[in-house]
Amino acid sequence: MTYFEIFSLPPKLQIDTVALEKAFYKLSREFHPDRFASKPAAEQAEATEKSSLLNDAYRALRDPIRRTEYLLELEGVELEEQSVKATESARASGTEKKQIVPADLLEEAFELNMALEEMKMAKQMGDDDPQLRKDLEAAKTNFTGMLDASGKELESHWTKWDAAVDANDDAAKSAAKDEMVALLNRRSYLRNLVRDVNAALE
Amino acid sequence: MAYSDKVVDHYENPRNVGTLDKSSSEVGTGLVGAPECGDVMRLQIKVNPDTQIIEDAKFKTFGCGSAIASSSLATEWVKGKTVAEALAISNTEIVKELALPPVKIHCSVLAEDAIRAAIGDWKKKNNVAETESALVGASA
Repeated sequence: MTYFEIFSLPPKLQIDTVALEKAFYKLSREFHPDRFASKPAAEQAEATEKSSLLNDAYRALRDPIRRTEYLLELEGVELEEQSVKATESARASGTEKKQIVPADLLEEAFELNMALEEMKMAKQMGDDDPQLRKDLEAAKTNFTGMLDASGKELESHWTKWDAAVDANDDAAKSAAKDEMVALLNRRSYLRNLVRDVNAALE
Repeated sequence: MAYSDKVVDHYENPRNVGTLDKSSSEVGTGLVGAPECGDVMRLQIKVNPDTQIIEDAKFKTFGCGSAIASSSLATEWVKGKTVAEALAISNTEIVKELALPPVKIHCSVLAEDAIRAAIGDWKKKNNVAETESALVGASA
């Protein structure tokens, strides 16, 4: 049973989170172990299992990023294993590896990291230059803004995915899937930059 | 999780950090990243056009200790090798040398990718075909 199935939902990404919460409480009561106290052990065990699955499902589905990651996982995308897999297939076929991260994103992440490192080094050199603090604050605003914007962009991919599911259009599903993977990859760079700039400002 | 002594050594005293002239025809640049953890790694090689020996290598990595150590080690290993020999370096050798735990294997993969990407860039610049360099490597 998938997280979507436990809530009797189709595998789509635009979810009414208020309705999801209500359904969660209703199902929680249904599977509550207390209600099965006088039942046979097998039924008790099943209820406990469902109850735990329900909790996992709710936590994953209410969070936009985790919901997207979970759906991609169901679709066979192994976000954690992308690089290793691509390297192995390139080695096996003797072809040049297709980089998972697009070149322009790598350039961007590299340049942003370089700029941040310069600021951090200047800060380490001694006096807390007010201009430097300003630069770091600006960088923080910039990175955070980019991260927020990527969240909004993700929602537009959800719309495409959901429409493709409704239309049963495999090509469109696959395209939306690729876009979501690329976006989540970009987010992991942005998240690190936000983390690092915050650390530099401390 | 504890890092091995070799990782700590490369992390604290990274070898060959820096930049080579990207516009030189003797220099190949590889920029790669592991989206799993948001690492980005740049590795550059300077190749002698007559011998195809890698005479210098530099790197700059933004990432965890294992990613820095993997790329630092990669620059040490490619120096003095021919292009064909350098292409034979695999991530498993890096894992072994640095005693990387399973969760850090992707760092070594990144270093292997960076070597390949740098060599690929150098080949493109110099119009070296895949087979041609393999022959040079075999006869060297």
